[in-house]
Amino acid sequence: MGDSLNDCIEIFTQDGVLLKQAQASYMSYINSIGTLYISESLNSSQKKFIEWKPNDITVDSDIQDQEWAVVNTIQKRTRTLSGNFPPDYQNRVRCIMISLDEVKSFRVANKYRHLTFYDGKSEALCSFVFQHGNCEGLIKGVLGTILKTSVSKRDKHLYIVYDANTLEIQQLDRSFAELNLQSEGSAFWKMVKNIKEHPYEATFEAFAKVTDYVYRSPEQREIDARECEDLNRSISEYENTTTTTHSQGDYEVIAKVPELPPRKDFPRLRPMTVEQWRGHLNFDGRIEDVDSIKTLVFRGGITPSLRKEVWKFLLDYYPWTSTETERQKLVKAKSDEYFMMKLQWKSMTKVQEDNFSDYRDRKSLIEKDVNRTDRTLDFYAGDNNTNLQMLNDILMTYIMYNFDLGYVQGMSDLLSPILQLIGDEVDSFWCFVGFMNRVIRNFDIDQAGMKEQLSNLHTLLAFVNPELATYLDTHDSGNMFFCFRWLLVWFKRELTQEDVMRFWEVLWTGYPCENFHLLVCVAILESEKDNIIKNEYGFTEILKHINDLNGNLDIAQMLNKAEGIYYQIKEADHLTDDIRMLLGLPLLGNQNSYGSHEQSPFEDSAELSNGTQPCCSVENVRISPDEGAYERALVASFL
Amino acid sequence: MAKTYDYLFKLLLIGDSGVGKTCVLFRFSEDAFNTTFISTIGIDFKIRTIDLDGKKIKLQIWDTAGQERFRTITTAYYRGAMGIMLVYDITNEKSFENIKNWIRNIEENASADVEKMLLGNKCELEDKRQVSKERGEQLAIEYGIKFIETSAKNSIRVEDAFFTLARDIKAKMEKKL
Repeated sequence: MGDSLNDCIEIFTQDGVLLKQAQASYMSYINSIGTLYISESLNSSQKKFIEWKPNDITVDSDIQDQEWAVVNTIQKRTRTLSGNFPPDYQNRVRCIMISLDEVKSFRVANKYRHLTFYDGKSEALCSFVFQHGNCEGLIKGVLGTILKTSVSKRDKHLYIVYDANTLEIQQLDRSFAELNLQSEGSAFWKMVKNIKEHPYEATFEAFAKVTDYVYRSPEQREIDARECEDLNRSISEYENTTTTTHSQGDYEVIAKVPELPPRKDFPRLRPMTVEQWRGHLNFDGRIEDVDSIKTLVFRGGITPSLRKEVWKFLLDYYPWTSTETERQKLVKAKSDEYFMMKLQWKSMTKVQEDNFSDYRDRKSLIEKDVNRTDRTLDFYAGDNNTNLQMLNDILMTYIMYNFDLGYVQGMSDLLSPILQLIGDEVDSFWCFVGFMNRVIRNFDIDQAGMKEQLSNLHTLLAFVNPELATYLDTHDSGNMFFCFRWLLVWFKRELTQEDVMRFWEVLWTGYPCENFHLLVCVAILESEKDNIIKNEYGFTEILKHINDLNGNLDIAQMLNKAEGIYYQIKEADHLTDDIRMLLGLPLLGNQNSYGSHEQSPFEDSAELSNGTQPCCSVENVRISPDEGAYERALVASFL
Repeated sequence: MAKTYDYLFKLLLIGDSGVGKTCVLFRFSEDAFNTTFISTIGIDFKIRTIDLDGKKIKLQIWDTAGQERFRTITTAYYRGAMGIMLVYDITNEKSFENIKNWIRNIEENASADVEKMLLGNKCELEDKRQVSKERGEQLAIEYGIKFIETSAKNSIRVEDAFFTLARDIKAKMEKKL
């Protein structure tokens, strides 16, 4: 704490604390790890503060002095300042500092690992995640002695702070709970006098006290039973209007778990054959009905001998609308482009390389990973294997194609099946680029894309199987980190090369919805639910169990189940916009369109298919044009 | 169900990508060496129960992905670790230089009293050595931790390393009791 020690003493310190939520001025520190302090000012005010400082920032002592100077001059802080510093300081303040006076309640979640402070206006002041250890000691040992708190009766994770020192509460105590006109007459008459003199202010103040009374400290006071019931009713009504289910998994208030419609079975079909494919090409080699091709691939994958050709379309190397001649031209141009980029790194001199550490680091990572990518497969086995050289060269060229991303572990896994299938270096490169474009956020520097997917997976799981989601939340696994490997390389490590090819080509179609891969995860987790819950698996066992599933997954079953889940979600009455957004379904917003019958593409498709109803018709749900196309093609493929 | 062990120690292997963390672990847990390596994605752990001065100690050893990008995920698992093996590759200067970053990473994310140990792996590759044993020793002294050169491939001192770390944790724990 450096210089500030002169002004403050630390009562409590905890490192490895992640900042989860804070006011907008601290946005850039969200999700950073730092140290949490509880400190006490040594001057006469003896104010106590919650402080948090990110790890890798060294606070300039001058600035810090100023921070402290500001704090110290604010003896009587006004509400409007609310513990913040004047805007001028915000850019310079590198450390969150909130006076404990501001804290009206705090809530714990995730077995004391998640701690949120509230200012009593339903706003979170800040929220922390304890990366190691938990905040039990902080709450029981430190905050418990500094603050007068009690656990809310309605929510055992919520601690309400009684501000014993403020006049406001003392008055409230007298005027409300222990209202006794004989002995405490003065307070009552003071209030009456106030109302006379300043009618508006006094009345509002009185109302404000009642509000505080209701929402902040309902349990401490003795109230008669009828009053108590009234209060509780008003509280529960208040809660009902604000009930939300949110995806963090830290807390949920759900009155009744709504049920999903029954699950339908979507049997997998046979892979798309060469004949089916050829049947869709017109005289100049253009694909006539892309949706129907995609549907065939989605339903059954591609027959192995045909893969090499179709993957180039699925991976956006060949445009779906191109003719054979256009594709030949494209291949020529793309080949030139590839070799130009390859030459850029091939021609780098030793000196250039020595002076280019970012490049060197990427190169060395690739070298290490190429030597340990699928070496058990014949295609990559043995020393001096030319296929390994190609794997290396494509990844190196990808560095030149996208230097900012560079090389991240997992990318060699994504390239391996593509190269094995396509064989040609240039074509494999461009197909790999297409795949990378879809999963590029898996490799974000701060891993934001992965975290987002893990969080989305939790949201979907909580919707489909709340029991399992709650179990995971209460067993340190609500962050879904145990699914990290699944998502990073799309199950590459869990499946055989043949299965991964089938699985990927199905997912590349983008059918039946966005983020379908997350529904596949939900499907697998659901299958493992009994194992996990009955065996009372904890944090480590869950991870082990999931890691050990590799080699035991049946992709046909996974896909079948995931598709069933998709339609269950889509047809659910309680489907929320959050979930719709995740699956790329049209949002309903606040309009009353839910339940109103709009023109459904099914009506077109019914005409197209001579009145045959699709197997999964959904009434009263809006369907996007893409989705309509998918449904249409689905019908066509069954004919 | 009766416990089959007296103590459970959670250990962690960290270090740059490709220094042989998984191989060290595989050698210790299965007494084997796999020539077809595979990079670690995410995180995994293995278990081995050892006897130490008449006590059965279950070692739960966590293996992590080495690339810096994955640290935000892997550091979540530092929580509760009692011992950490910092691994570098004696044939790779960079992996040795990065040890100081890994130490800083530990300081930020693991509990303060975690036992640490420095491992210079791949010591069978003497002809490719870039980091002398003395430099390893010196660095260990600077940080006040123990140091061992190992070879997961030729099974050199891997057992020693884990037993030493386990013994130190046990001693520290018993002192606290």
